[in-house]
Amino acid sequence: MGEATSARVARILREKGFDAYVLNGGLKAWRKAGLPMEQVPEEDVELLPSFD
Amino acid sequence: MTDLVNVIAKYGYQSLALFLFLEAIGLPIPGAIALLAAGAATASGALRLGVALPVALGAMLAADTILYVAGRFSGWALLAFLCGVSLNPEGCILRSAKWFYRRGRITLLIAKFIPGINTMAPPLAGSMNMRAAQFLRLDLVGVLVYVLTYGTIGFLFRDMFRALIGGLQTFGRLAEWVFAAAVATYVVYRIWWYVKHRMDGLVHKVSVAEVAARLKNQSASPIIIADVRSHGYYDAGAQRVRGSIRLEPNNLDGVLDNLSKSAPIYLYCT
Repeated sequence: MGEATSARVARILREKGFDAYVLNGGLKAWRKAGLPMEQVPEEDVELLPSFD
Repeated sequence: MTDLVNVIAKYGYQSLALFLFLEAIGLPIPGAIALLAAGAATASGALRLGVALPVALGAMLAADTILYVAGRFSGWALLAFLCGVSLNPEGCILRSAKWFYRRGRITLLIAKFIPGINTMAPPLAGSMNMRAAQFLRLDLVGVLVYVLTYGTIGFLFRDMFRALIGGLQTFGRLAEWVFAAAVATYVVYRIWWYVKHRMDGLVHKVSVAEVAARLKNQSASPIIIADVRSHGYYDAGAQRVRGSIRLEPNNLDGVLDNLSKSAPIYLYCT
């Protein structure tokens, strides 16, 4: 997957007039550099359908 | 294809188990052909039904169970991996999950007959926490129908087995053409996708260090860090860049109105 999604979204945003960039290396590079992370907030978690 | 039939005749149960296991685990092995051969071999007395049937069922159930357990414990990671070859991985995960949720039980029963789906169904059942007992029950019925269908055809056509082998050769050649056409279509599709999205590569990339530096300077010049992964949000307890917002790539139109056009936006995915 790499940066394909962010590059695609960045281009769409630029076409719409946003000042968008791609973070080189994505989340992997961010984590590797030891930069701060956080847990995805619970209200943002989108639970996919489940048979539970 | 004929080689496959010869191998089944020669190595019997082991090769039957191996072919079916490998097919069920996701390799492009024509398990149906192995079952046709096994059915014919059973009719001629080379294999015994009382052994061949449990061997076939066991091999497929074992592979499916492995995929089910892998799906169960990897959350959506395994599905993300299986979707990795698709052109829109984020969309693929969501679509497969919704589709399977609606038709999952039926899907498990007929999945074996549909290449591609046969490998996707067990890990989906796992990812979506289908109860193990229910999964095993549905999968057993699905596997049983598959094995008996092709095994019976092979059994009934035992007298015409030579003709069948001839037919298989023709079928094999046809299958090769179909396969080649599918590969060609995929390549053309890939090229079309590349041409359509080649401009994506021109988008300016910013290093992690630079974004981190700007993040420290937030009060003077605000920035936005946006997470465009979608599967990052399907498992509770997932991690993301601190202070980032979510931008669902499959639903951009709805969220862009609230997004600032003056601040630089840094996008990241996996």
